[in-house]
Amino acid sequence: MDEINSKQFISVRLDKDLYGVEITYIDSIIVMQNITRVPKAQPYFLGIINLRGEVIPVMSLRRKLGLPDDEFTNVSRILIVKPEPSVAPFGIIVDEVNEVISLDRDEIELINYDEDDTMAGFSAGIGKLGDELINILNIPEIITGNEK
Amino acid sequence: MDVSQYLEIFIDETREHLQSLNEHLLVLEKEPENEATINEIFRAAHSLKGMAGTMGYKKMQRLTHDMENVFSEIRNGQMKATSRLVDVLFKGLDVLEEFLVNIQTDGTEGKTDGQEIISDLNKILESGLGKDDSSASDAKDSASTPADKGEDKPSKDYGKYKFKSLSIDEHEKKAIAKAKLLNLNVIGLTVYIQEYCVLKGARAYMINRSLEEHGEIIKLSPSAQDLEDEKYDYDYSAFVVTKETPQQIINNAISVSEVKEVVADYINLEEKELEKYLNIIKNEEKQSALSMTSGDSGDLKAKTAPSRKQPSKPIANRSVRVDIEKLDVLMNLVSELIIAKNSLVSSSSSLHDQLEIAFYDQIEYLERVTTNLHESVMKVRMVPIENVVNRFPRMIRDLSKKLNKKMELYMTGEETELDRTVIDEIGDPLMHLLRNAADHGLESNEERKNQGKNPVGSIYLDAYQDGNNVVIEVSDDGKGIDVEKIKRKAIDRGTITEEQASRMTDKEIINILFMPSFSTSDKVTDVSGRGVGLDVVKTKIEALGGDIEAKTKLGQGSNFIISLPLTLAIIQSLMVQISTEKYALPLGNIQTVENVTPDEIKMIQGKEVLNLRGNVIPVIRLGEILDCEKSQEAEELVIVVIKKGERLAGFVVDDLIGQQEIVIKSIGKYIDNHKIISGATILGNGEVALILDVNSLV
Repeated sequence: MDEINSKQFISVRLDKDLYGVEITYIDSIIVMQNITRVPKAQPYFLGIINLRGEVIPVMSLRRKLGLPDDEFTNVSRILIVKPEPSVAPFGIIVDEVNEVISLDRDEIELINYDEDDTMAGFSAGIGKLGDELINILNIPEIITGNEK
Repeated sequence: MDVSQYLEIFIDETREHLQSLNEHLLVLEKEPENEATINEIFRAAHSLKGMAGTMGYKKMQRLTHDMENVFSEIRNGQMKATSRLVDVLFKGLDVLEEFLVNIQTDGTEGKTDGQEIISDLNKILESGLGKDDSSASDAKDSASTPADKGEDKPSKDYGKYKFKSLSIDEHEKKAIAKAKLLNLNVIGLTVYIQEYCVLKGARAYMINRSLEEHGEIIKLSPSAQDLEDEKYDYDYSAFVVTKETPQQIINNAISVSEVKEVVADYINLEEKELEKYLNIIKNEEKQSALSMTSGDSGDLKAKTAPSRKQPSKPIANRSVRVDIEKLDVLMNLVSELIIAKNSLVSSSSSLHDQLEIAFYDQIEYLERVTTNLHESVMKVRMVPIENVVNRFPRMIRDLSKKLNKKMELYMTGEETELDRTVIDEIGDPLMHLLRNAADHGLESNEERKNQGKNPVGSIYLDAYQDGNNVVIEVSDDGKGIDVEKIKRKAIDRGTITEEQASRMTDKEIINILFMPSFSTSDKVTDVSGRGVGLDVVKTKIEALGGDIEAKTKLGQGSNFIISLPLTLAIIQSLMVQISTEKYALPLGNIQTVENVTPDEIKMIQGKEVLNLRGNVIPVIRLGEILDCEKSQEAEELVIVVIKKGERLAGFVVDDLIGQQEIVIKSIGKYIDNHKIISGATILGNGEVALILDVNSLV
């Protein structure tokens, strides 16, 4: 496979849909933890956790994307991601982590940007995985952009 | 010689010398005759020149050389330190500082060469020595102090025999006379060390050791401490009391390696003086013989003991320079240790029955050790605020000239210590407050005179420790803050409405000053008034976990009170339970804890208050502010009384968990928390608890 033209993603499930997170953003994947609520924080930030002695904020991706609220199960996971290599990490909660997939660049289609649709900003494109479509998440935009 | 490895030391020491020059020049301006100060200045300039030369910084060397010339004339009493001269010298220091900054950034001195200053200096030098009026009056001044003049005649050139130009103190003369009495020689010598010598301090020490084998050193110039600290060029002078001849002493000293040349000669007192001191010694001996019948002190050592005390080696400088990063690492490790200890404590308490008493003893011991360890590391990181504030007198002097207002800065508590990280950040806010005080706070000299005040304005900077906080107050005796003026300005700018303004207390109005881009100054000056000020100060201080408060009396002055936490990393806290959540309150802010019944809480103007022993304090229900789930109204409320400055407030909590040493961790930038949370901490069981910022809640 061509190194330059393909990228690896972790496919995760959120509600009924598949999402992809580029593997270079991912620091680690951990099981659900006790989350300490932070008062007055943005609604999509559920709070903070202790990850090996470091305090890390955790956000609910469902809330950020305007999906129905989380229900934590024993397959729920927290992806610890870094929007840039040198900045502090944060956690995003997903319903399930599936597998590592590779997508060629031409297998990813950018969706048309629409000013009113903030959700489009959180997407870095739509990938085709067999019959299914996978929404590639734009991690830097998720931490900086405004929710719906 | 490769000097790059000494660059850091050079930069550090140059900064110290420049600071010392700055301070002493300020003193000199006020007391132009202060000899000790002039000597200090001369020494600092001299070391600076030597160091710059060694490191190959030619421009720096050149400028310091010319400045040194001026200092030397001042020292000789040929010139007077006029305000104009001091101005030029200060400018020279600024250029030197510029060089230093450039050296620090790219290793070169930069483009400016200070030529202007050099020519200014030379002009002053020429006119000062010539027919300048001030020097004429100065000549009279120095003539009126013939005692000083008689002692040092530095203008006479003794060539290599530099020791002959040294002035001899009372007690040294006495020692010389005593030596004569015992038929010993007093030999003066000047030692020249090879210029390539790297450890000058050690070399001087070795030479002195070898001299001491044959006699007693009664005088060293520069002092033993300076020699050890390498604060001398390549030569130094000494007086030795010995049985040997000068030639023997020379042979002795030259045998030490890296010594280039030694010159020596007998030192004799004038007949009259010798007699005078001999008489003194005889009288003393009679007295001591009366008081002390036993024990004769015939041998040389005992005889010269009192005179030896002076030049004997002062307590050596027992400190080490450590990179701040290493200290940070150390502090992090201590933090981790405390987390580990906390988790050990918490897991041991769950095993309650199965553990032996001895185990708990050990745990307690561990707790004590970690607490002490933390304290020690913290102390290592503590720096006196002197390091920041010592540049302020100079700044105020410059401001005074610039604004054409006479003012004095009075500082106290410079020795108060703060964490290094805080020290690094606190300089700018303090500078800002001082500039404000100088520009807006103080009235012009005429205005002050008309109001019957001392025409010279006063600015105070006081620092002191208050419990777990350090308080720094910046105050002035100027016109104070005009509350009405702020009110009008705020209404004009739409910051507040007329109606709001009428309801606000003076204190609340003053707090408007801390809002972004608010300036009451009618005109923008060079110094301040652009409105990017107090809000930046406040933000900075809050970022350091501190707080700022303003007080004022119209016509009498204003007072800005900054309080800062002693340390940023680890604090003692009171853990409390609110609903199902745990929160930490910094122990330093807690006054008392009270149990009250719900009916003791009264409503005043729609707000809950508590009458606490005659003190009515507001009651804050933390559960509501923190949006916790409602807990049942208990029969008895636990109220933690918080003190912020002079204000008290009661925080209602559900339960107290206990006192705990906690490590503060940042919750990062992603989460927006409206400042009520100052950080988080990891508890013994791995849970995360939030630390409340009581300053923002009260």
